[in-house]
Amino acid sequence: MTLTAPKTQLPPAPPSGRGGRSGRLTATRRREALTGYLFTAPTIIGFLVFVLGPLVAAIYLSLTKYNILTAPKFVGFDNYARMFRDERLATTYGNTVLYVGAAVVLINGFALLFAVLINQRLPRALTYVFRSAYFFPYLVALVYVSIIWQALFQKDTGILNYYITALGGERIDWLNSSEFSKVSVIIVDTWRNVGFAMLIFVAALQEVPKDMVEAARMDGANEWQVFRRIIVPMISQATFFNITITIIGAFQIYESIIVLTRGGPGDASRSVVMYIAEVAFNKFDMGYASAIAVTLFLIIMLVTLVQFRLRKSWVNNE
Amino acid sequence: MSNINTVTGGGRGSVQRSRPRPSVGKSISVALLVLGAIGMIAPFLWMFTTSLRDASQAYDLPPQWLPTEWDWTNYAAAVNGPVPILQNMLNSAVIAIAVSIGMIITAPMAGYAFAKLEFPGRNSIFVGLLSSLMVPAQVTIIPLFLLMRTFGLLDNPLSLILPGITGALGVFLLRQFFLGLPQEIIDAARMDGATAWQTYRLIALPLAKNAVSTLGVITFLGSWNAYFAPSIFLNSTDTATLPLGLVLMLGPYGAGNVAQVMAATTIAIAPALIVFLVAQRWIIASLTQSAVKG
Repeated sequence: MTLTAPKTQLPPAPPSGRGGRSGRLTATRRREALTGYLFTAPTIIGFLVFVLGPLVAAIYLSLTKYNILTAPKFVGFDNYARMFRDERLATTYGNTVLYVGAAVVLINGFALLFAVLINQRLPRALTYVFRSAYFFPYLVALVYVSIIWQALFQKDTGILNYYITALGGERIDWLNSSEFSKVSVIIVDTWRNVGFAMLIFVAALQEVPKDMVEAARMDGANEWQVFRRIIVPMISQATFFNITITIIGAFQIYESIIVLTRGGPGDASRSVVMYIAEVAFNKFDMGYASAIAVTLFLIIMLVTLVQFRLRKSWVNNE
Repeated sequence: MSNINTVTGGGRGSVQRSRPRPSVGKSISVALLVLGAIGMIAPFLWMFTTSLRDASQAYDLPPQWLPTEWDWTNYAAAVNGPVPILQNMLNSAVIAIAVSIGMIITAPMAGYAFAKLEFPGRNSIFVGLLSSLMVPAQVTIIPLFLLMRTFGLLDNPLSLILPGITGALGVFLLRQFFLGLPQEIIDAARMDGATAWQTYRLIALPLAKNAVSTLGVITFLGSWNAYFAPSIFLNSTDTATLPLGLVLMLGPYGAGNVAQVMAATTIAIAPALIVFLVAQRWIIASLTQSAVKG
C-alpha cells in the first residue's frame, strides 16, 4: 500500500523556447524542480553514503577475502560455498529461526489475547493503566531490560528460581544450560515486544464495526464464531503487519543475548547476528562475515516484499 | 462491547445488552490483565527496590518488592565507580540530541518535496529511499566500520551522528502528513509571492508540528536505546554510550555488584520513564498510527 507511487504521474517537461508564456512556465517549473532537489539533497546524500554505498560494498566484500590489513582479494562465490560447510553458522541460524518462530507465535498470540481483553468495556482508568504497563518495556532499551532479567534468571540467587522452588519445583539453570538459555532469550524477547503488538491489535479492533458484531450475535453466533468469522478477518492487516515486524525483529536479535548468555553455553543461544559480529570484528574475516550478512539481507527483503504484496492484494479485495 | 451474552445464555433482549452488569467473563479477563500487568512491571519494581538495598542483601530471599529503606549509597557508588556512567550518559544524550535535531530538519524538508514539489525522478527517488527500510543495519555495518576507520571517526560520536541525521522512515512519515495538506494552502502562499522556502518554512512546517514532534521522540528514543552500532564503533569507556557502559558495569556473567548495577539501570531508564509519564497517550497514538498507516 505504501510503496505504490501516486497515481498522478509527472507530465513530461514541455520543450523549452516555445514562446513567452510556456517559457515562463518552464522557468517556474525549473525553479520548483531545483527546490525539490535541494530539499531532498541531504536525505539523498545520506542514503547514498550510509545505506546504498555500504550495501553495494557489502555485496562486493562478500565476494572477496579481506582481513583489513591487505587489500580485498576477489574469490567469487567461495564465501557462499563455505557457508554450507560451516557448522557454527548452521547452529546460529538454527537458533535464530527458533527465535523467529517463537516470536511470531508468542508475541502475537499474547498480544492478541491481551488486546481482545483490553478492548472490552472497562473503566477508562483501568484501560489506561493496562496500556501503559504493557507498553512501557517497549520504550526501554533492550540492554537495560536484559540486565534486569539477567539478575532475575540467576540460578542460585534469582527470584524466578526462588518462586519455582517455593512452589516445589527444581531450580532451573536459565542462563547456562543449552535448552534454557534459549528459553530465557525467548522470554525476554516476548515480554518486551508484546505491548507494541498489542497496541497495534487494539487499534485494529477499534476499527471493527460494532453493529456488524452485534448483528452476528443477534443471529445466534457465539463468541468464538464472532471472533473467528468477523474479528479475525477484519484485523488481518494488523496481524500481518505484526507478523512481519516480529519476523524482522527476531532475525536481528542481538543485545539481549549478549547480556543474558553471551551466546552460550558454547553456541547454544548464539544468534546469527552475534556470529556475524564475531567473524567480522574479532576474527576480521570481513569477506565471509559480509556474505553471511547478505543472506540476512535477502531474508529480510523477502519478508518485507511479501508483506507489501499481500497488503496490496488486500486493498484490492476491499 | 460487552460479552454479556455468553453469561446470560444468549439473552436476545436489547435491554440486557444496553445495561452491562459485571460478569464472570469480565472478571476473569480483568484478572488475566492484572496478572499480565504485574509481570510487566515487577522486573522494574525489583530493579528499583534492589537499587536501594545494601549490596550484601541484594540477593536476599525471599525477595522484597517494595523498598524498606531509602538508601541511595548504591547510586553514589555507581556514579563514582570505575565505569564513568555519567560521562556515558552525557555521550548518549549528545548523540541522541544531535541525531534528533538533524532528523527533524532533513526529514520534513524531503517529505515536503516528495509530497508537494514536482521534479523529474521524484517518484523513483522516493521508492528507492523507501527500499532502504529493507536493509538491516547488520548488512551495512561492516562497510560503515571501514568507512569510519578510513576517516578516523572510530571511537568518535560522529560515527553515530552522521549516519543518524537522515533516514527514510522520517521522510515517509512526513510525506504522509504533507500529502494530506490541501494544495490550496500552498498555492495561496505562492500567489502572495512567497518563495518556495518561505512557503515551506512559514506555512507548511508549522502545520506539521505534531508529526515533527513524533519523529523527534521516535528518533531520540531509538538513538538513546541503541546498542549494536555503538558497540562496534566505540571502544573506550570514555566515549561509550550509556548502554555500553552498563554492560561493562554488569561484567561478564553478571559478576558486577548487582545493587550498583540496578542503581545505574534505574538512572538509565529514568528518561524513558519521564518522557512516557508526560506524554504516554500521545506517544502511543503516534506510534501505533504511524505503524498502522505505514
